[in-house]
Amino acid sequence: MVAGVSISQAQDKSSDVVSTNANINKSSSAVEGPATYKKMSLEELMNQDVTSVARQPQPYGQAPAAIDVITGDEIQRSGASSIPEALRLADNLYVAQKNSHDWAISARGFNTDLANKLLVLMDGRTVYTPLFAGVFWDQQDYLLKDIDRIEVISGPGGTLWGANAVNGVINIVSKSAEETQGLYVEGGGGNWLQDFGAVRYGGTLATNIFYRAYLKYFDRGDEFLTNGDNASDAWRMGQGGFRIDNEAAAENRFTMQGDFYMGDENVPTGGNAHTGGGNVLGRWSHTFSDDSDMSLQTYYDRTHLADPIPANAVTLQPAGTLIDDLDTYDIDFQHRFHLGDRNNVVWGLGYRFTHEVDQPAPAVGFVPETLDQNLFSGFAQDEIMLVKNVFLTAGTKIEHNDYTGFEYEPSGRLQWNATPKQMFWGAISRAVRTPSRVEENERLPFGPPISAIFPNLLTGNTDFESEKVIAYELGYRAQLGQKISTSVSGYYNDYQDLRSTGINPVTLFPFTFQNNLEGYTYGAELSLDFQIFDWWRLHGGYDWLKEDIHVKPGQTDINNALNETADPENQFQIRSSMNLPKDIQLDTALRWVDAFQYNSSVAGTPASVPSYFEFDARLAWRLNKHWEFSIVGQNLLHDRHLEYVSPSPAPEEEIGRSVYGKVAFNW
Amino acid sequence: MAMPLKKSITCWLCILMLAMQTGSARAQSREYQVKAAFLFNFAQFVDWPAVTFADTNSPFCIGILGNDPFGQALDETVQGETIDNHKIIIKRSQTLDDLKDCQMIFVSQSEKGHITKILSDLDSKPILTVSEIEGFAQHGGGIDFYLAGTKVRFEINPGVAHSDGLKISAQLLSLGKIVQSAREDK
Repeated sequence: MVAGVSISQAQDKSSDVVSTNANINKSSSAVEGPATYKKMSLEELMNQDVTSVARQPQPYGQAPAAIDVITGDEIQRSGASSIPEALRLADNLYVAQKNSHDWAISARGFNTDLANKLLVLMDGRTVYTPLFAGVFWDQQDYLLKDIDRIEVISGPGGTLWGANAVNGVINIVSKSAEETQGLYVEGGGGNWLQDFGAVRYGGTLATNIFYRAYLKYFDRGDEFLTNGDNASDAWRMGQGGFRIDNEAAAENRFTMQGDFYMGDENVPTGGNAHTGGGNVLGRWSHTFSDDSDMSLQTYYDRTHLADPIPANAVTLQPAGTLIDDLDTYDIDFQHRFHLGDRNNVVWGLGYRFTHEVDQPAPAVGFVPETLDQNLFSGFAQDEIMLVKNVFLTAGTKIEHNDYTGFEYEPSGRLQWNATPKQMFWGAISRAVRTPSRVEENERLPFGPPISAIFPNLLTGNTDFESEKVIAYELGYRAQLGQKISTSVSGYYNDYQDLRSTGINPVTLFPFTFQNNLEGYTYGAELSLDFQIFDWWRLHGGYDWLKEDIHVKPGQTDINNALNETADPENQFQIRSSMNLPKDIQLDTALRWVDAFQYNSSVAGTPASVPSYFEFDARLAWRLNKHWEFSIVGQNLLHDRHLEYVSPSPAPEEEIGRSVYGKVAFNW
Repeated sequence: MAMPLKKSITCWLCILMLAMQTGSARAQSREYQVKAAFLFNFAQFVDWPAVTFADTNSPFCIGILGNDPFGQALDETVQGETIDNHKIIIKRSQTLDDLKDCQMIFVSQSEKGHITKILSDLDSKPILTVSEIEGFAQHGGGIDFYLAGTKVRFEINPGVAHSDGLKISAQLLSLGKIVQSAREDK
């Protein structure tokens, strides 16, 4: 959606956040000072990240939200080789790798197998699937070198972004084609990331019309079973794409971009899963004046997944393949303008049409097999300057979806810029997670019931309603001197109508999804960045989370309220980034994740994943402006370790130590 | 394992809290350090007609009109530097008349309301005008800065510079976004 194109486009004030954070929080190039800059070429100067302190009406204005920005440079320096790995850099996310190709990623808890409370956008295109209201992380990739930044907002973002932005929003923003001119080639390999390669070329089509095109592939090996055996879950994927930016006229900017990919995954329970898809997106941004602009965006996205489903011994269903094909058509409009001296208004309209076909496997399927859905949305938000340095942002989104009808997601945010470099904020928001096909349409098994007394094990419930949250947040963000910046946020979330799995009161089976969980979570997020010397930067992040989710009185949940939460109470990371002499970079990261409980079976018995420390490191040497050599080690402390378990036919898997080398060439 | 670790987290937090109270040093923001370096670069990529210098010993003057956003960053950038053997000096003023012997004038954001007047006063004078006021180059200024994401970019109006007798190098033109002034569109 357009509002999601980037925070900086959604709210002009927030663009400070993005750039300020990118600078202070993440001053990635450790070189600084006039003496350094004056020696740089114009091209080098154009690549420097700067603050935009003076550009906006209120200096150091920031979005009143818990936002963490990962810069492209940080991604490069971390040695991350995929988007989920890059998301480990965000202090306000929980990232757990399940196997060679699957991750559980969430903010503020609810990091289950099918985490469904996070909205993820890539250049304004939503990549959440209406199949389970979550994200298939094994279908989201990009040439990481061309990612400008990843904005991670924890807390509800429903007012601007709409349904499913319940616990957070991840906004992956690629560089403009203007910023990726020339030839770039990378390649390498190692023990798990066995081999990979990418090529990108950027040029101009005419004056101020820029393009780039890229191709990439990788070949990832197997992870491990808990007994140390090979898990047979290798993953191969290829992707390509393009982007064209027409910047010929300052007041009209046009972007067109697209990607396509194909992947193939070995599945531990047997067979291969195939993924494939593509998208094309066009966006027109028009500036009426300094105080008013609009954008119109439309895209088409197609995804294909063929997943081998093993035979089910309970329901006596043979093995088969579940095939999901989804076509999404989306159009969004957004307009921002100033009203008088005190009001900054953003409003927008959107429409999305999805056509999803699910061909069942005997053990699992969806009824109806083909589902067309319409989603209408509109939002309006006003940022009002109450007095100097105090801003109130109030607005709501209203959506209409085919499952539950109208949904509204209002929020009110108060921001106080206490000093030019310190900001306090607070917010109250409501957000909803609308139903997905899993809750409404699932059939388990799909094949003929084995007997009249033992029909389906589980069926979808077309009366399933949206999950709701009311979130209360407080935060503080500051740049303390030239060297230290920090962000602290705290939250209390009150959840209603969370998903439960209930029994049939008469026949026991089939189970159905119901809205019989409720409860609350609270916690805090802390981030601190310390540029100790020009050449050495330290960064620390810490999350604390308490969850109390329980079954509503008098209701049942076969999972005993354990199926929605599998989250550590504490986690922290410390990252160090050093620029050493002779153009050598050394980056290291230590993370610790607390033990957490998960639902070990459908009987609702808890088991736990132990806490763990892990350590990543990257050593890079830049020979000259064309060549860079690096070696990356990930999860170096253990031969293998467990990060996540979910109750499913798939065996538990442990993640191994991995090392890879990389050569990059830039011309 | 868990208990001692949690304790150490608590201590780690105390240390962070202490550290937070110590930061103080104020320096000019990175944005203006970078923009200062851009100004210095512009001076090297533009040729001024010899008449703009009273004699060979005259300095190369960069004027700042209005509130100075650079602080010491610009002074530190040009310290000890020359342009074609002319020593670089910085002049700051709130009035344009004080700066008319400068080769380059940076028009501060504070002058936003007066750019039409400023530009008409400088019309045809061999002075490169640079600003960060939005649309400055299109309004008939020489170069303006804008931000693309977190990075500094510039728009350049070659027509204006040319009619003022300045020669802009092809490299500068190739890196900037070319704009034309509204009046030249006709």
